Amino acid sequence: MKLELGNIHVRDLAFGPVSEVKENTVVIDQQALIAHLTELDHRIRSLELSIAKPGDSTRIMPVKDVIEPRVKVGCEGDIFPGRHLGEEAMVGEGRTHVLKGMAVVTTGEIVGFQEGIIDMSGPGADYTPFSSTLNLVIQCEVDDSCNQYDHEGVVRLVGLEAARWIGRLAEHVEPQEIETYETKPLLEQAAQFPHLPKVGYVYMLQSQGLLHDTYYYGVDVKGILPTLMYPTEVMDGAIISGNCVSACDKNTSFVHQNSPVIYDLYRHHGTKYNFMGVIVTNENVTLKDKERSSNFTVKLAKQMGWEAAIVSEEGFGNPDADLMMNCAKLEAAGIKTVLLTDEYAGQNGESQSLADSHKSADAVITNGNANQLVTLPAMNTVIGHDRYADVVAGGFNGSLHEDGSITVELQAIIGATSELGFHTLTTKAS
Amino acid sequence: MVKEIEKVMPVVHIATVVPISKTVGANRIVPAVAIPHPLGNPTMQPAEEKYLRRQLVEKALRALQTKIDDQTVF
Repeated sequence: MKLELGNIHVRDLAFGPVSEVKENTVVIDQQALIAHLTELDHRIRSLELSIAKPGDSTRIMPVKDVIEPRVKVGCEGDIFPGRHLGEEAMVGEGRTHVLKGMAVVTTGEIVGFQEGIIDMSGPGADYTPFSSTLNLVIQCEVDDSCNQYDHEGVVRLVGLEAARWIGRLAEHVEPQEIETYETKPLLEQAAQFPHLPKVGYVYMLQSQGLLHDTYYYGVDVKGILPTLMYPTEVMDGAIISGNCVSACDKNTSFVHQNSPVIYDLYRHHGTKYNFMGVIVTNENVTLKDKERSSNFTVKLAKQMGWEAAIVSEEGFGNPDADLMMNCAKLEAAGIKTVLLTDEYAGQNGESQSLADSHKSADAVITNGNANQLVTLPAMNTVIGHDRYADVVAGGFNGSLHEDGSITVELQAIIGATSELGFHTLTTKAS
Repeated sequence: MVKEIEKVMPVVHIATVVPISKTVGANRIVPAVAIPHPLGNPTMQPAEEKYLRRQLVEKALRALQTKIDDQTVF
């Protein structure tokens, strides 16, 4: 599959009478977008749009998802495919335009206890990648007939459809740059760089149920067997988040669209190694599923002739066991592995980092300690509801102070310890 | 907690993810149903689920009475 990504750099975001992309400014007709979104589900009680820009004294919480507006141009397929009848076509080929530098952020009353915070300025801004994007924030509230699952589904739909609607504004805009990514069918790909090591990516997706779900072409991945994916598919939104796992290491839909491991593996594809493709796998809640999925993952990796693999985890706790199973079984099959994870090592950093371990896991990259405490000063504006600060994962009784400041663990900040490395957190050897 | 209890009396760990139970050093391990419902199964009819629950507890009680020399999954 060969995909051309045309980036249109967004320099400003504004509301205006006509929706358009004009001289690198995205203008949104509020009423038109609200009318479009309101039609999506009869249980939507209210929709409010706001703009949050880098440097603003603005806090957004509790955040459900972050999504990048993209659009398919002159080719088959739809961004975020597989969710609606008539949108089943494969994606990852042709041309896609990206509104680079902006995001759609969904917020509203809490659905699950693991939603998070985006601060647009102050110390909290350093911990989230979404403090540097121009954000269209949608506060969506639903009526009382919704249970938690309906609530999550409605808000997810609103976010994705808003990003699509905005993305379409970029269809006929000339991009500032075009990047091309290509992965050939298996035998051709192997033959293209026969002397380079064959490297692949095991993309573990959260699939625990109870609002911890991820979708591939609209299919809940807890019900899949691990499968092969062309790396370019994610760039068209083949993987989307429906996930309230801890805010710090949940992969938002935006992160899937910009999946760092995939983009980075393309950088040295054909020079240092032969990037063969991706295995999409899950992190289910029963031991037999974990064993089965890791067995399938290894079977597919061997079938593709991989010599080495990067394995990324989503979430923590029992998924650490999936991570270790994938690692141990890949290594036993002669496939070298590097693992990407984060740590829950306690507020003092002295506790066991992962719930599981294996001697073959000897090349592990950490993306930070989610238990680290941080105090976020009060902001002038809160979009959403800060009253949930005490109950979100990473918060505790007394997190929200009278002056509006919040003391929480990094766990509560969206993307703070992204296990795909989609953040700026780093460490130095002392 | 399992390891602390074991300092004073035998203990059995009913755990969904047996590898983690082994990693943390539990000696008597009974595999559970699933992470969100280790001792039940919401897809079952109530009577069947009660039978399942009882079987698990009885297996755990048998594990407590079984002499072991090494980590054992029952």
